[in-house]
Amino acid sequence: MDGKVADDGGRGSQKLLEEVRALVETLNKVVACYHQLSSCVGGSTDSGQLRHELRQTRERAQQLALDSRRLLTARLRDRSLAPPTRLEAELLWVSFSSSLELLHADMCKVFSVGQNFPLSSNTGVLVQTGMQGETAKVTARALSLSEPDLNEAPASMDRLEQGELEAEKARVDQMIEDMEQRVNVLRWTVEAQGPQNAEPVGSGSSLALLSVLQAEPEQHRCKRGQMFVAALVVSLAAAALLLSVGVLYLG
Amino acid sequence: MTIRNVRDHGQRYRPRMACLKKVEALVLEMQDPKSGVKSQTQRLVITTIPHAITGEDIVAWVANRFNIDAREAQSIATLMVAFGYIYPLQDHKRLIIKADTSLYRFQTPYFWPAQQWPAEDTDYAIYLAKRNIRKKGVLELYEQEHYNNLHKWMNHKWDFIVMQAKEQYRAGKERKKPDRVVFDCQERAYWVVHRPPPGTISAMDYGLERLTDPNADEVKKKKTMDYYRRIVIFTQQCIMRSRVKSSVSLGAIVKYITTCKNHDPFLAMCLPSNPWLTDDTTYWELNMPNVEIPTKMRVERWTFGFRELLSDPRGRADFRLFLKKEFSGENLAFWETCEDLKWGAAATMKDKAQQIYKTFLAPGAPRWINIDGKTMDITVKGLVHPHRYVLDAAQTHIYMLMKKDSFGRYMKSTVFKETQKKAISPEEHKFSDAQLEQNAKKRKPNLSPIVLRQREEEEKARLAASGPMDITQLCKFTAPVPHLAVYTGICEAQLSHGRERQPPSPGFPTLPNSAACPSPISVAIDSTPASERKFEGQGGSAAAQFPSIAEVPLETRVSASARGPDESQLASQKSRVALSLSRFLRRGCGNASVLASLSPKCHSAMGGRVQPLSREPLSQPQPKRIANFFQIKVDIPPECRIYPIDSEDEENECTSRVRGTVKEIICPWESITKQDQAG
Repeated sequence: MDGKVADDGGRGSQKLLEEVRALVETLNKVVACYHQLSSCVGGSTDSGQLRHELRQTRERAQQLALDSRRLLTARLRDRSLAPPTRLEAELLWVSFSSSLELLHADMCKVFSVGQNFPLSSNTGVLVQTGMQGETAKVTARALSLSEPDLNEAPASMDRLEQGELEAEKARVDQMIEDMEQRVNVLRWTVEAQGPQNAEPVGSGSSLALLSVLQAEPEQHRCKRGQMFVAALVVSLAAAALLLSVGVLYLG
Repeated sequence: MTIRNVRDHGQRYRPRMACLKKVEALVLEMQDPKSGVKSQTQRLVITTIPHAITGEDIVAWVANRFNIDAREAQSIATLMVAFGYIYPLQDHKRLIIKADTSLYRFQTPYFWPAQQWPAEDTDYAIYLAKRNIRKKGVLELYEQEHYNNLHKWMNHKWDFIVMQAKEQYRAGKERKKPDRVVFDCQERAYWVVHRPPPGTISAMDYGLERLTDPNADEVKKKKTMDYYRRIVIFTQQCIMRSRVKSSVSLGAIVKYITTCKNHDPFLAMCLPSNPWLTDDTTYWELNMPNVEIPTKMRVERWTFGFRELLSDPRGRADFRLFLKKEFSGENLAFWETCEDLKWGAAATMKDKAQQIYKTFLAPGAPRWINIDGKTMDITVKGLVHPHRYVLDAAQTHIYMLMKKDSFGRYMKSTVFKETQKKAISPEEHKFSDAQLEQNAKKRKPNLSPIVLRQREEEEKARLAASGPMDITQLCKFTAPVPHLAVYTGICEAQLSHGRERQPPSPGFPTLPNSAACPSPISVAIDSTPASERKFEGQGGSAAAQFPSIAEVPLETRVSASARGPDESQLASQKSRVALSLSRFLRRGCGNASVLASLSPKCHSAMGGRVQPLSREPLSQPQPKRIANFFQIKVDIPPECRIYPIDSEDEENECTSRVRGTVKEIICPWESITKQDQAG
């Protein structure tokens, strides 16, 4: 990778940045999936399967993190970067470290919740959160698999997993600290380039389902209703006008 | 500007959150399929979601579990909702329990409030961005504000936040519809708890953060000898502390409460109305510091104690008026200047102290206050190196004097009774709701404190200018007038005859018998031009009449004569001399010889009646007393007894005369330096 940089100069660095960007985006995706999954821990869908999925996602995330870290540190250590590329690299760096921090926070939470809700004990109760379905699809997305992996997790993974999780948590923590020390990126000088509000994606919100029961979204419906009525009235008025003009004309 | 999350590994302990563990245990109990809360399914438009519980079930379960009544159970349940362990499905913004069929659901443990981790801003930003992605313009006003703020200060992360929001949205889409609904509800409930809308009371209000976990067990220390020894010492000291019997302290509390009960705006009605409740500022206007007519309640407060009277500016003004009538205003003035010294700026302290000495403490001061010898001595000694609390002893003395003496008389005086009669008692306002709203709309801010302070300063200046010289009292011994050494005897004699003009008390530079060596005295004379002037005023006429004075080393008179005479003073002196002489002669005291021996006599005369002329031995202790007047100047060890002057006696006599004289009072530290220079 570094050799490539030396050979291709600007173009190589650009390609490298693209690679890094792809990696960071993937990491983002995986972290988001991990977030989804971790919200189920301790809830009604908690099971060995869930923990297994969590572990898989986590491993993938860490792998990605290691890769991108390697590349990014290499890029940023390189003093001979042109300013625009350097800015991009810094942006990527900020994204990368933020996602890693999110991952770390999620891991901490999963760890502590997992301790309170050990699956292996028989008397453990799970909180009835209302969740029913599985999260296999989320994991599939995280692992970039086309089909969900339906392998069952081994039964007694629980205690082992907790220990592993603790170790991994420490590792990620260490990684973050290392990153901070090795690469001198002044975060407050990094300026985001994207828009403030993300463009709306998708049509309805799932919460719209609840609008049947709730009062507030009725405002939207009312507004739509009002607009409808207003449109109707306007059209009627227009029709009346036309008729009267026609009558006048004829008359 | 958050650069990054503070990764403290959960080491910020928020003490009020220590109860969370108990609530968690309770929630877990509620999950029990047999003994827990019964759950139902929530029916939505296209799907059903299980695990919904009704409010009344929750309350009933809690009441059953703890064996308490329904109201308490409801408040415990409300607490659980407020902390975020249970969230309402309808009306999700109000975090309370309604003990009816409204539905609730348990929050997933991931979203439980944790003592170690506060809700992070990054997560909040991602959540808001996600909501924006779902549907534009669905954010509430406060949420939009938060979002803009976060955008401002987390700008460097913003790309990440938007990207993460998108990813989370897409990841969420991978789930089945009912689960998606549940997850959205959970997240929304979490953020209602941790970022409440403005104006709501949040249970997450946790106070200060601490560095140690209140829940953690104490580290097991090795219990060495030293450890036990320290505990023993500590407990011994605890025992040795002085204690007050609870009957005594409780009695004091009860007494305080019974007297002040009606004056507490929380416990009793505030007349005319409490401005904080009704937005009507009449109460404040009626109770301004320098209002003309105080309210009845305020006047009643003055009767509680002297401290109340003094701390209220209006009361103090009233008291000042009373003292003015009684001609003991200098006490209060002194007390006030002492306060000013204590609380004033350090730069002016030295000057202030000098000023105070000159005005109040020095012998011959225009507003001499009456404190005992020991206190005076301590004060004067302290004034050599003045600091903030140098006048503390004197101030306390004067305070107690006023409290024990003047305060009682004030309470019975006409001034106070007048004020009491004129005091108003306003009617209670009875505002209707509409009027209250109007009042709220008409609220306007107070005057700026700068303006208020300026007004205060102006008031003070006006007060000062209008005359510190109200009726000042004069001490018999105010001005060290040498020639009046003879006069004291006469004064005393005159006193015995009745109220007549009494010359100000002299210093006694002319005493040949004084124990102190003459030179410091002469220096003292030098440093008091007023006295010298008087001295000089005697001029030749005095010389023959006062051979005792002639005994004084000539240099003084030479120096005296070197100064220009003051005509008016001369005249007055002469007249005084003549008058007193005549009186003296009237008494049948004799001649110059008598006069000569009179000087020691004056000392003795100071003590009381005029002594028979042959009372020589008595003079011995007297010189010391006289010399005490000079002690201030010459640093002779003291045994000072400054005689109390009855103000009513003095002021009539002395005002006219003394007003004319210009006295220059030298502060002790100044004279000492002069001494050093001269010597």
